[in-house]
Amino acid sequence: MKQNEMLAMILAGGRGSRLLDLTNKVAKPAVSFGGKYRIVDFPLSNCANSGIDIVGVLTQYESVLLNSYVAASRHWGLDSKDSGVFVLPPREKADADLDVYRGTADAISQNIDFIDNYSPEYLLILSGDHIYKMDYDKMLRFHKENKADATIAVLPVPMKEASRFGIMNTNDAGEIVEFEEKPAQPKSNLASMGIYIFTWKVLRKALLADMKSTESHHDFGKDIIPALLGDGKKLMAYRFEGYWKDVGTIDSLWEANMDLLDKKSELNLSDPSWRIYTEDASELPQYIGKDAKIETAYITQGCLVEGEVVRSVLFTGTEVAAGAKVVDTVLMPDAQVAEGAVVTRALVANGVKIGKGAVVGSADSENILLVAKNVKGVE
Amino acid sequence: MADAYGIVTSSGNHFRVEGLEDQRPIGAFSFLGRYRVVDFPVSNLSNSNIDRIQVYVSQNPRSLAEHLGTGQTYNLNAKRGKLQLLFNQDSRVNEIYNTDIAAFRGNMSIIGRMHQPYVIITPGYMVFKQDFNKLLEDHIASGADITLLYHKSSNAKEEYRGCNTLTLNRQKGVTAIERNLGLANDRNIFMDTYVMKNELFLELIQKAAKTSSAYTLVDIINAENDNLDIRGIAHKGYFAAITDFKSYYDANLELLDMTKARELFTDGWPFYTVTTDSCPVHYFEGASVCNSMVANGCLIEGTVENSVIGRGVEIRKGAVVKNCVILGHSIIDKDVHLECQVVDKWARITNVKELIATPENPGYVKRDDVL
Repeated sequence: MKQNEMLAMILAGGRGSRLLDLTNKVAKPAVSFGGKYRIVDFPLSNCANSGIDIVGVLTQYESVLLNSYVAASRHWGLDSKDSGVFVLPPREKADADLDVYRGTADAISQNIDFIDNYSPEYLLILSGDHIYKMDYDKMLRFHKENKADATIAVLPVPMKEASRFGIMNTNDAGEIVEFEEKPAQPKSNLASMGIYIFTWKVLRKALLADMKSTESHHDFGKDIIPALLGDGKKLMAYRFEGYWKDVGTIDSLWEANMDLLDKKSELNLSDPSWRIYTEDASELPQYIGKDAKIETAYITQGCLVEGEVVRSVLFTGTEVAAGAKVVDTVLMPDAQVAEGAVVTRALVANGVKIGKGAVVGSADSENILLVAKNVKGVE
Repeated sequence: MADAYGIVTSSGNHFRVEGLEDQRPIGAFSFLGRYRVVDFPVSNLSNSNIDRIQVYVSQNPRSLAEHLGTGQTYNLNAKRGKLQLLFNQDSRVNEIYNTDIAAFRGNMSIIGRMHQPYVIITPGYMVFKQDFNKLLEDHIASGADITLLYHKSSNAKEEYRGCNTLTLNRQKGVTAIERNLGLANDRNIFMDTYVMKNELFLELIQKAAKTSSAYTLVDIINAENDNLDIRGIAHKGYFAAITDFKSYYDANLELLDMTKARELFTDGWPFYTVTTDSCPVHYFEGASVCNSMVANGCLIEGTVENSVIGRGVEIRKGAVVKNCVILGHSIIDKDVHLECQVVDKWARITNVKELIATPENPGYVKRDDVL
């Protein structure tokens, strides 16, 4: 096997409970996004496009769908001879009982043997629940040029929002001097994106120490980064410019979908030089009916539109019947809106049917309405 | 696993699709925005659990080779199954030598080594849905030597010109195979689909070659009619033969009728094709779209009516596209007005502001062209 300079590990074990009913049966990384994608397609495609061959995906919560989904490594072109996507759920070991991953760092610690198999020089740690496009190879070059022990991607956020994030305080050389999780009085606006490159032997040592600690939360932000800083290791902040969104709530998931309607969106999924790959649906092209009306929309293959669609995103296999109207709404895969129904400012979950003439959501609601159960028609 | 292997044939030289066929064989034509014509026969075979498939190509193999690849797209078992692209260079001396028999003879050793007892031959230039396993069962149950698939047409004066027709007796025995010259409306159009034992197939190839270098498989079956039990089985559902430019145009637009489309596209019988990982279609303010199929990756800002739009097409502000088939990655620039056109891939219409033809006589814009 050819030498792997950098391996990627995607942390995909979380439930994403703020996504409410959407994550009842699937883990957050497997939640649908942008018409045809799933959230985890973004880090996986970024890996494939950055020339990374081996990706481990650490799964835990409701992982049946997620495991089978990411195991089909051909979706992302990660299926050549020496590459692959590997599903890594917690396991029973000869010297340890089956245990859950106790934290982000523990998930990696429990898979040190997997990583050692490939003897990489660097390890890339990603989160499975962010929407963005990023060339990790550029970040690796930055890490090497700076002879860093760890490099953390950071995003400048508005100062007033900084207290919602993990904030990196840096010196003039861009070295991280302090990490603060959700500080009340932020000293900087550089938010951690949850993207880390570690020099593997440095991280390996830190992980082994962390495993033994009884006080540790086994978390990268809370434990590993402060420990490395305490040891005087060189941690660099890598500034990312571009679209990045944590789609942790119904509102932010809806917003990120709506962002795709913007002609100048930085996410631009139609850029042929940095495609986002996903599973392929064997469906007809979308059919737009005789009396359909479409006003700014993002609609994918397999949709059937006979009614009116305004500022909305339609996922694979959705149907908008004649006389129905969908406004400022996200219709997740196979959702159906029957004749005469009106859906406004809503996120309609997979397979949900909105009955004839039903009225769902309202234009002046503060929050986006999640519709996770069928809505009866009005006869 | 079926007891048959599949052969997907290339079109005979009596068919010619002006323009499009200069670039690639009919099997590699884009169809309904995201498919290629060959996806239909190959998916039919794959869905029938036939996983040894030979696709014949006689010229411009590039696009077909690229598209078919290893057959993984079509769900073929990577170890037990195999999709072979069999190339047979057409004779340049005289078209008359370019027969299906010549192509089979060029790959005789491969055909001879197939261990499946039956062969199913189906065309790479026709679009329909067919369960070949069922066809094979019916063939075996009937005890016939050869089974031919046909489609009853009541409009054969206009449609399926140049295709062969079957003359059947009351027992569905085939008494003759003749060219459709458009003399009568009610005809049994031969769908160029055959089922027979591989042994018989090999025998017929040899006999044909001995009789005449210009003989086709149809010719030898006609000649052997007295010695063989040949039966016809009727196909029901959507059927299109891509045999000339007009039939290509019509077949695409015909499927905008969702009742027809649902005859072809049914649950549990997917038609596979290569994904290009295009993003969903983006409709901008000002877009107006009706009765159209739009493939992924398109950016639409203009008006689209009764049209089939291929992947990654841009239709800019003020542009009007009516009754058109636009192939992948073309750009219809601002305020350009198109009616009844087939626009080939990667074309860009920008300076010519109006191209209007009629449904009876649609126009064609060449691949990579700038107008």
